[in-house]
Amino acid sequence: MASAFESLQAQLKKLPGVGFRSAERIALHLLVEKPEQLPALVEALRTAAVAVRRCTRCGQLAEADLCPICADERRDQGLVCVVEHVPDLVALERSGAHRGVYHVLHGKLSPISGVGPEQLNLASLLDRVSRGEVREIILALSNDVEGEATCHYLTSHLPPGGEVKVSRIGFGLPSGGGVLYADSVTLRSALDGRRSYS
Amino acid sequence: MAVSRMRLQRITLQHFRNLAAAKVEFGGARHFLVGPNGQGKSNLLEAVGLLTALRSFRTSDARVLIAHGQAEAAVACEVEHERSGATRVELRLRPGGKEVVVDGVAVTRLADYLGQFPTVVLSSQDQQLVRGAPGLRRRWLDLTLAATDPSYLRLLQAYHRALAERNALLRRGAAVAELAAFERPMAAAAAPLVAARAAGLEHLAAQLARAYSQLAMGASVPESAGFAYAANGAKHVVVAAKAGGAGSPVAPPIPSAMPAGLQGAKEADWLARWEASRARDLQMRTTMTGPHRDDVDFTLEGRPAVDVGSEGQQRSLVLALRVAQAHWFQEHLGVAPLILADDVLGELDPGRRERFWAALTPGWQVIATGTSLPTDEPRAWQVTQVEAGRFQPVAADGRSAL
Ligand SMILES: [Zn+2]
Repeated sequence: MASAFESLQAQLKKLPGVGFRSAERIALHLLVEKPEQLPALVEALRTAAVAVRRCTRCGQLAEADLCPICADERRDQGLVCVVEHVPDLVALERSGAHRGVYHVLHGKLSPISGVGPEQLNLASLLDRVSRGEVREIILALSNDVEGEATCHYLTSHLPPGGEVKVSRIGFGLPSGGGVLYADSVTLRSALDGRRSYS
Repeated sequence: MAVSRMRLQRITLQHFRNLAAAKVEFGGARHFLVGPNGQGKSNLLEAVGLLTALRSFRTSDARVLIAHGQAEAAVACEVEHERSGATRVELRLRPGGKEVVVDGVAVTRLADYLGQFPTVVLSSQDQQLVRGAPGLRRRWLDLTLAATDPSYLRLLQAYHRALAERNALLRRGAAVAELAAFERPMAAAAAPLVAARAAGLEHLAAQLARAYSQLAMGASVPESAGFAYAANGAKHVVVAAKAGGAGSPVAPPIPSAMPAGLQGAKEADWLARWEASRARDLQMRTTMTGPHRDDVDFTLEGRPAVDVGSEGQQRSLVLALRVAQAHWFQEHLGVAPLILADDVLGELDPGRRERFWAALTPGWQVIATGTSLPTDEPRAWQVTQVEAGRFQPVAADGRSAL
């Protein structure tokens, strides 16, 4: 059986961007070099594990049923900006250019990587649409093959007849890069210059 | 476009195939690496050839370029451009991938790199271009067009990415909606890709015809050489040669003089085609039609060279193709290409060899290999003796000793 140290190291190695060496360094740091920090970290993990979850409406991080954005009545709840990941949302929020709400897919379609519609937070977006909560969708997905395919898949599942207006940003963004890498000015002009999508 | 002369000044290799460490000085117009087979001549030439597109002309498996038991191979080239001065290109090959540094700056996108250091390789494997599988000719065309046009490279990469995603869905037997979703980016790339291939071939055909007429054996009126393009598995259609158009980017869809196949097909046509073939593709678990099945044939007088061409004609044709490619690079990149002749000059009869030199532009640097110096070659070569992975320059007065 693996020792306690080894199993901690193995768990750390599963984290994104952490290799075998870094996992070893972090484990040593926590247990040997700065053990006094450990209780606070354990407590933060325990609390977050209970408190933080996905917003039931948009998929963003939330500590209640709804995230602060979905719960904010001053935001335009009918104008939904669809993003791949939480950091995309954070970047758009920082630009202050979007007065509506969001929907976080937590990825994009990529059969090669085993990501299909079931792996994405997609069904809940279509539910929002079918409940009549959505007036307009802004697609802010990456400007690559997978982003493109995800946009098509999503729009092909919207009710016919153009009840929901759909537009896409990405033309002001660095080719192939997601919204994550653009600065606030670029994001603002990309949002302003969004084009109708069909 | 004014042409900038390009000279490879020196190359340094480490753990590259059988070469533990080597440094060879070039700089002149004509270099000849002479020595018995298996001593490292071709390996050196292969390393120089990596400059263009970071791909070997001998293998698609970059791992075999790393010496046995070593973690990485390194190639450093110093290249003098007449216009932009000296550039140092460092290439590191590891089992996991390649790393390129140009003048100390890491290259992150192939598109930013391509087209700066055009080389054209002539090798004995070239005969396969006429006789071998369509994939070889498609790869030649893709490399030639991508090296001169970053937007072609982007289209090619997008198409193959979308194709790979669709094929992954087909293997899984996925639902129609997902297939349709990936057919959209596929079609968006396919239409301009095929149009660019057709337009590129029209210009290349003019250059091929010119080079072939210079090289062709004996005949007072040589046959006319060209291409036939079979877009998407349709019948081959002879490409009408079209001169000029230097430096043009991916051409807009041409009002095609080539009606067959899907050469003028628009995005919507491709969508309809893949929609119609979904059932069969699902059955075959792969995408059966599309630009990845295109073929290009060489023609003589409009007929397939592989059928009607003699051994000698096919040999001239392949040589002409490389000359045409060199002219294409010069015309589109404004840089005089580096000609790498791997053990081919010795195979040519004196008449064809003479005509080959005449077909090259005088400013082009040539690096050639062979087991012996071409005896009837009037031009002065700078000679390097190659033995057991060691490269020893031979002084002009020592040449008779060879
Ligand atoms: Zn929310």
